[in-house]
Amino acid sequence: MSGDTPLVEIDSLTIRRHREALLDRVSIRIARGALHAIVGPNGAGKSTLLAALLGHIPFDGRIALHWSGAGTIGYVPQTFPIDPTLPVTVADFLALTRQRRPVCFGINANARAKTAALLGRVGLTGLESRPLAVLSGGELRRVLLAHALDPEPELLILDEPGSGLDEASAQWLEDTLRDLRQARRLTIVLVSHDTDRVRRLADRVTSLDRHVVAEGPPDEVFA
Amino acid sequence: MTPFYTWIADLAQRGWLPGDFQYPFLIRGFLSVLVLAPILGGLSHLVVTRRMAFFSAALGQAALTGVAIGLLLGEPLNSPYGGMFGFCLLATLAMVYVKRRATLPPDTLIGVFHALTLGLGLCLLVLLTRQFNVHQVESVLFGSLLTVTDGDLLLLVVVGIVVGGLLVREYNHLLLDSLNRPLASVAGARSIYLEYFFAVLLTLSIVVSLKIIGALLVEALVVVPAAAARNVASSTRSYLVWSIAVAFFAGAGGLAVSTKFLVPTGGAVVLAVSTIFFVTLAVRTMRRRSVM
Repeated sequence: MSGDTPLVEIDSLTIRRHREALLDRVSIRIARGALHAIVGPNGAGKSTLLAALLGHIPFDGRIALHWSGAGTIGYVPQTFPIDPTLPVTVADFLALTRQRRPVCFGINANARAKTAALLGRVGLTGLESRPLAVLSGGELRRVLLAHALDPEPELLILDEPGSGLDEASAQWLEDTLRDLRQARRLTIVLVSHDTDRVRRLADRVTSLDRHVVAEGPPDEVFA
Repeated sequence: MTPFYTWIADLAQRGWLPGDFQYPFLIRGFLSVLVLAPILGGLSHLVVTRRMAFFSAALGQAALTGVAIGLLLGEPLNSPYGGMFGFCLLATLAMVYVKRRATLPPDTLIGVFHALTLGLGLCLLVLLTRQFNVHQVESVLFGSLLTVTDGDLLLLVVVGIVVGGLLVREYNHLLLDSLNRPLASVAGARSIYLEYFFAVLLTLSIVVSLKIIGALLVEALVVVPAAAARNVASSTRSYLVWSIAVAFFAGAGGLAVSTKFLVPTGGAVVLAVSTIFFVTLAVRTMRRRSVM
């Protein structure tokens, strides 16, 4: 795949629910290795766009993903509601996709080592045995990011990753995303309300309000 | 199985096992509990995590209708598995299909199926009273050890192995899908497949458990063990172990009570499992107080 070919091509994407257009003929190109931010007001269709990109909902139009490797997607959802009595620990959760053996039979040494390394990567060393339900919002975001980073994704999709985070956690997330881009040529799609942070982080921005309102470098879109 | 029963009875007579084990039906009952505990206890923790408690209740009612259909079609009174499994499977597939397509909340839709199958079952049971004494189907409604045969036990073992094997294969995807469906889908889990897959396994397990626990009470054993386990478990592994342990002790305790006081096995098992639930709830409350 040539370096000029965008990783993601979205052409005339239209999604309707009850005859109402949630997205209307949206076309976006996401360049390989870029951090592309999607911004817009509530109800603009940002999460709907991600759902279509992930193949979770039917749509009209075309979405093409031009993978150069295994085509792995890392995804951090906007919400992750957990039943407060559910006894699933951080290690259990991370091991779910890192071993074939059911996690209810225990976590094998390989998955345990991977889990520890992932938690170290997001600054949560030693949190393996803590139940998911008692994590703070910031800790949970970090665990979800750790989950999304292994196996190494070619495309990382983050849906409002900073929502509900305190300033320190949000700053940590910003630094981490910057480091990830520098260390690897990771393509990142970031849905966010935080225009200041988007301005600092993004290469390109698409402003959405059920259709594309503006697209370009952050300084142009937010001018 | 006769030499096995004779051997166990001999051990009981020598005082190495409780005296009740002199009777083959009680040995069968205990073996049934031994097999049922991992099946229902194991399924139980996923049923609760996937919020399928009401679904299980509806399946129990569907089984009642299935028994009536089986008997009306000429199945033997002691093993109406064809009608039971056929109708339960139909109800399961219909519930999952409609739930995935309708915009109404899942519990509302399952409530509709619940009412429908119960109404149909009651009408068919009244029709049945022209052919059978309704007390003859009591064992299927409330569970009875006396009617469990070696064939039922064998079926339970075979289904237990099949369900266990299939569950082990898909467990991680099932749990991730229960926690967060989009995340599971990104990890390669097929949500539609998992939903039907788990519902069919649950149906199979409920159908083969009915002669011991009863159609009206089987939901208790696929919900309460996990509810009790949640009060004391600290990880996924301990959640499973506690669920199975609770199902086993409730089964064995219920069996002992039903033998001693000549009450239906299903009712006694449900009382036992409910008692265990409240004990674990008390333990959880005490632990919380000691931490504060």
